[in-house]
Amino acid sequence: MNRAIRLLIVLSILAALGVGVNAQGDYAEGTEISLLQWSHFVPRYDEWFDVYAAEWGEANGVGVTVDHVNFTEIFSTLAAEIDAGDGHTIVEVLFSPASYIDGLHDLRDINEAAAAAHGERTSTCHAASYLPINDTYYAYTHGYVPDPGDYDIALWTDAGYPEGPKTYDDLLEGGRAIYEATGIPVGIGMSPELDSRMANRAAIWSFGGSIQDEAENVVLNSEETVAAVKYLAQLQNEAMTDEVFGWTAASNNQALIAGEVSYILNSNSAYRSLQKIDEAAAANIGFTPALAGPAGAYASSHVWQIYVIPKYVEGDELAAAKQFILDHTENYSDVTYHSELYNFPCYPSTVAELDGWLEEDPWGSQPPNKFEVLKTVNDWSVHLGFPGVTNPAVSQVFAESIIPNMVAQVALGEQTAEDAVAAAHERIEEIFADWRARGMVGGGDM
Amino acid sequence: MSLRLPAFPFDNRRVVGALFLAPALLYILLIVGFPFLLAIAFGFSDVTVGNTDLNFVGFRNFEAVWDNAIFRQVFETTIRFTLISQVFILLFANILAIIFTQDFTGKWFARFIFILPWATPVSLAMIGWLWMLDTKYSPIDYLLLQTGFLGPGGILSKDRNLFWLASPDLAQISVIFVQVWRMTPLATVILMAGLSSIPTDILDQAEVDGSRFMRTLLLIKLPLILPIMVIALLFSMITMFGDMTVVYVLTRGGPVDYTRVLGLYSFQVGIEGGNLAQGAAISLFAFPLLLAMAIFMLRTASRAEVR
Repeated sequence: MNRAIRLLIVLSILAALGVGVNAQGDYAEGTEISLLQWSHFVPRYDEWFDVYAAEWGEANGVGVTVDHVNFTEIFSTLAAEIDAGDGHTIVEVLFSPASYIDGLHDLRDINEAAAAAHGERTSTCHAASYLPINDTYYAYTHGYVPDPGDYDIALWTDAGYPEGPKTYDDLLEGGRAIYEATGIPVGIGMSPELDSRMANRAAIWSFGGSIQDEAENVVLNSEETVAAVKYLAQLQNEAMTDEVFGWTAASNNQALIAGEVSYILNSNSAYRSLQKIDEAAAANIGFTPALAGPAGAYASSHVWQIYVIPKYVEGDELAAAKQFILDHTENYSDVTYHSELYNFPCYPSTVAELDGWLEEDPWGSQPPNKFEVLKTVNDWSVHLGFPGVTNPAVSQVFAESIIPNMVAQVALGEQTAEDAVAAAHERIEEIFADWRARGMVGGGDM
Repeated sequence: MSLRLPAFPFDNRRVVGALFLAPALLYILLIVGFPFLLAIAFGFSDVTVGNTDLNFVGFRNFEAVWDNAIFRQVFETTIRFTLISQVFILLFANILAIIFTQDFTGKWFARFIFILPWATPVSLAMIGWLWMLDTKYSPIDYLLLQTGFLGPGGILSKDRNLFWLASPDLAQISVIFVQVWRMTPLATVILMAGLSSIPTDILDQAEVDGSRFMRTLLLIKLPLILPIMVIALLFSMITMFGDMTVVYVLTRGGPVDYTRVLGLYSFQVGIEGGNLAQGAAISLFAFPLLLAMAIFMLRTASRAEVR
């Protein structure tokens, strides 16, 4: 299905749904939309996006303004704008904004329009924009970011793993051998920050544990979670330095670029930065899919690209915003390309070239098929609430950094894994109960 | 015959007093009073970041917050950090105030340099400290490595780094140190004003009576500036108790919860976690303590002044 036909379908569906948009731009004169986005980790994307947005505005007779802010400021800005009842038309966030649901427009119409035009979307994108208990699409997720392992090929080859670690056992054995031989550690964060929250969850899932079950009951306190926490503590004690307790969102990138780490979990942005600085060093970086544990191989998406429209947006501004979002998805080949394969499409059909790009990186990786491993990303990439839904309680657990703090306490030798998991479980139960009382989380029948 | 001027509103001391006070009162009501009342309303409701409709839920949020073991640790950490910092701030502020009220060459330049930590926007200053204390690329670690204190055979550690913000002990020390660095200039300036206001005839009389430096300091100067010292302490304590910028930039509360303070936890729960009601309740727990502290300290200052 070519782009013109897909566009026709989208417009027909939108017309039927009464979204009230028009490709020729029949908006009242003076209609303006403004976007607030996090500054992309691949700067080239923002350069492309600003031009794209301006051209879209000209073509549709709509004034478009784009503001970029640091990703840490997005949620506080969104909260302030919802409370003030005034602000940006479209806000792009990185994680499910489920707790903001009452202040956001239900975007069922454009979610359904996109699904009808582009087919099935990846489950992780669906989970980051839909709350089943309210049957509400509080957001529109257009992209997600794979979070593979990045490893130093030379070091891991010397350790006997030329294709990098494939399992958590490999990571411990190989990582320890490399650390003992060279002093270069594994770099998996255990601090209250974004990358640590993702990496620690990945291990827990792969060992068979999780924060909640499919019915949104808290199930963290399990033998599987305890085993995962013990594993992570052992990994820290034997293959990592104390640096991981102070890990920041930039630590992965700094360590990889400095050649001072044998393995990290990261999007491709750290690698892309290295590629621009030192091509030979970049050629020595390989990628692995999620590591396999006793229960399988799972990793969270690194972040998501999630558009929301606050309820204060109305009339032609709202219609234009919805059209902008759908048109942006329509152009997702450009999005993925200009993000240097950072943004993966929620609707795979929108980027037919993706497999070809993964086989031969258009941004000059050596070897060209360096990213081929990401062809399987949808087999192992999950969302924050896995195996349940991403609800407001899951978001608060994420914000409070309960999981990495639990792991760090055990790695520091301050608590047993059993006690740390039990304490974390208790706090998470409190959070779930609070949101359940508001009718925004299911379960609670156990 | 006396000339009788027509009545004029500004002749009334009450009217003039109210007019002079009005801007300050307005400022306090708008900037402090309104958000405070809003926080109370939020704390007794079930508001979220997406829905600020006030549905009264009684003390549910406060009970939930008190039952939260993380909160209790955060509360204790906040009090501990504040008290330890104040000891050092008072000590350094007194020493520096005495030095800066003496005459010496380059005094004005020294004063200018000294005031910079307080005059610099806190977020910018903290980014500077973040670089200084970086877990891997700290220039302090580099100097220690070059001088043999770190690295193989090093006295402080065999590692190349001390992991300032990753070690539980060093992270706490770092946060307290930075708070002392940031708040000492304000306390010093207040104490300098106090020292300058001591009547010179009292000091002259002491000198004539043969009182030496320490005697004059301990028995005359410090008692006389006690009310001002209490005010400086109060300013410093309240600012520190409610601050979240330092730990937000440096550690985000880590490692584990070792540097997580009340302001940061309130932000993480209320804004980042979306649970605005509990975030408000967390921040309000500081209020009774700060109020009691303020009343006690102001009464102490007042009594000292009367004496």
